[in-house]
Amino acid sequence: MRISDVFSYSFSAIKLRKLRASLTTLGVVIGIAAIVALLSISQGLQVTITNQLERGLAADTLIITTSSGSAFANVGGGESGGRFGGGGVGASSGFKLYLNYTEEIKTLSPDIEAVFAVIQQSGYLQNGDRVRAISGGIVGVDFAEYSKIYSTTFVAEKGTIPLSPSDNDLVVGARVHDPRLNGTTFVDVNDEVTVIWTNATQLPFTNQTYTARVAAVLPRIGGFGIGGPSDTGVYIPISQAQRFFGTDEATAIIVKLKNSDNATVSTVYKLITDHFANQLTVISATAVLSLVDTIFATLTLFLGGIAAISLLVAGIGIMNIMIVSLIERTREIGILKAIGMKNRTVLFIFLCESVIIGLLGAVIGIVSGWGLANVVAMLFSSGGPLGSSRGLTITPILTLEMTLLALVFGVGVSVIFALYPAWRASKLKPVDALRYE
Amino acid sequence: MTTPLVEITDLKKTYLLGKVTVEALRGVNLKVERGDFLSILGPSGSGKSTLLNLIGALDKPTSGKLLIDGVDVSTLNDNQLTELRQKIGFVFQFFNLIPRFSAKQNVELPMAIAGVPKTEREKRAEQLLETVGLKDRLNHKPAELSGGQQQRVAIARALANNPRFLLMDEPTGNIDSKTAREILDLIKKLNNEGVTIIMVTHDQHLAREAKRTVQVFDGLISADVVN
Repeated sequence: MRISDVFSYSFSAIKLRKLRASLTTLGVVIGIAAIVALLSISQGLQVTITNQLERGLAADTLIITTSSGSAFANVGGGESGGRFGGGGVGASSGFKLYLNYTEEIKTLSPDIEAVFAVIQQSGYLQNGDRVRAISGGIVGVDFAEYSKIYSTTFVAEKGTIPLSPSDNDLVVGARVHDPRLNGTTFVDVNDEVTVIWTNATQLPFTNQTYTARVAAVLPRIGGFGIGGPSDTGVYIPISQAQRFFGTDEATAIIVKLKNSDNATVSTVYKLITDHFANQLTVISATAVLSLVDTIFATLTLFLGGIAAISLLVAGIGIMNIMIVSLIERTREIGILKAIGMKNRTVLFIFLCESVIIGLLGAVIGIVSGWGLANVVAMLFSSGGPLGSSRGLTITPILTLEMTLLALVFGVGVSVIFALYPAWRASKLKPVDALRYE
Repeated sequence: MTTPLVEITDLKKTYLLGKVTVEALRGVNLKVERGDFLSILGPSGSGKSTLLNLIGALDKPTSGKLLIDGVDVSTLNDNQLTELRQKIGFVFQFFNLIPRFSAKQNVELPMAIAGVPKTEREKRAEQLLETVGLKDRLNHKPAELSGGQQQRVAIARALANNPRFLLMDEPTGNIDSKTAREILDLIKKLNNEGVTIIMVTHDQHLAREAKRTVQVFDGLISADVVN
């Protein structure tokens, strides 16, 4: 029997039981839609997060902190014992990162282009009678070096960033300028503000203050930033920070490399950790991104697994319906065999029915899963009815690979669960089948 | 001398019904020549249906020899039996048409199974339905046809692959006597055109219409008469 004839025969059998076939197909649709929706949202989320991280974290940059310096990073600092670096072990040894280590580090490798220190403390900003906690911290940086490394994020959206700033120059993140991003500004360029820091290193705690002038506002960067500028940070010149905070200790030392290829990054990474006898934490963009990849790979597997369960249920539905169909059509199978249909062809006919159901279910499932993903993403993204204003914008991603995989999966599950009924149908003895009432 | 179309020697068939062994055929000898119109007559339980199933290659004998066109059926596997059946035209008492298919599609089915291209089989199906007098019922489904018409479709279907012989199981058993007469006339006409026919029935009058009647009783052939 020709393939096209097998297909049209199977199709005519399905058409005869429209309701039953559509309910069976619905099972596959739900399974595939769940897989597609969950995976495309998680892929979209991964891309969003990776992009955010890449913006906040230059690939050719290493960030050195003491292990307790987790406060420096908006995210990621807490994981310092893991992939971020080998320094986690020596964490509480009391190792201190001094500002003048920058010179030492610079001599370690010719691949290093620049090294500079960052001092960060939590503090407040007062503008007139309004005071706000600065969640991204008061960060002392070398404006010139910092804008070189973070050339896309440490730039002025408003005002100008002075490359040789005076002590009272100050740069603020987008959300310090406009905390709710709705036009109600807290500080603006040229405002005279008071920087407040509570010195908690000795008793009694004392509030230290100085008056500064807002020189520039940064553009909106996004939710994350490790080492790089943050929307919620306030940036002051490093020399001023040193004086104001009364310390020679750096919160972090940032190393800019000449190349961003993996070999350079890992060589310098090792040189630095070896030099400081593993007593510090080195964060590289590559390591953070690969951690994100790992987390998402796990998440994807987990979500895919949950969705796969629903497909499994659909598969059992297919098997059930096929067995019922087999019993109903016992006589028909007997007739087909009597007029010369081979066992193999009977098997094909039943498998074909499951392929048609699987294919139809997978196609509808992919389309509706994609639709569902977009609706969910729209609802929960920032600006959506259910999304927080601080949230991320998720764009679901459906790759050709995923589409094909879903298709193969849908058809595969259908065929696997139809194998047994189809095999049973093919093995029916024509004499018995013809006698069946 | 040409080989007989069907040659049966000491054919035995036993079934296991629960724990009881039933000897359905106990040593049948029979020859059917080409062009013959043979009726197999016997009461129910005589073994005639078993004999029909064996001649139709639907079942395998327990012992003895069954040659169809010179081929020993007992040596064939499932697939070879199936291929053999493509060359046997079955007509059943209950028509056994596929209800969702039209008359034409039902006639096309054996040809589709044998791999005949669509246009060729459509043409032949139309010709066959014309032969059995259903030219104007091509696209009717079995439910839209009378019993006699359904049996005509079944006969057309049985003829589709130019079978070596037609094997009929009570072909008029389920239709009224007037229509049965028409069906019988059709069968005779086909036989006159050269189609070999083996018909199983329990109806003595019908059996006598054949050229030759074989009487089966208690698993053995009790009479073999030329009418």
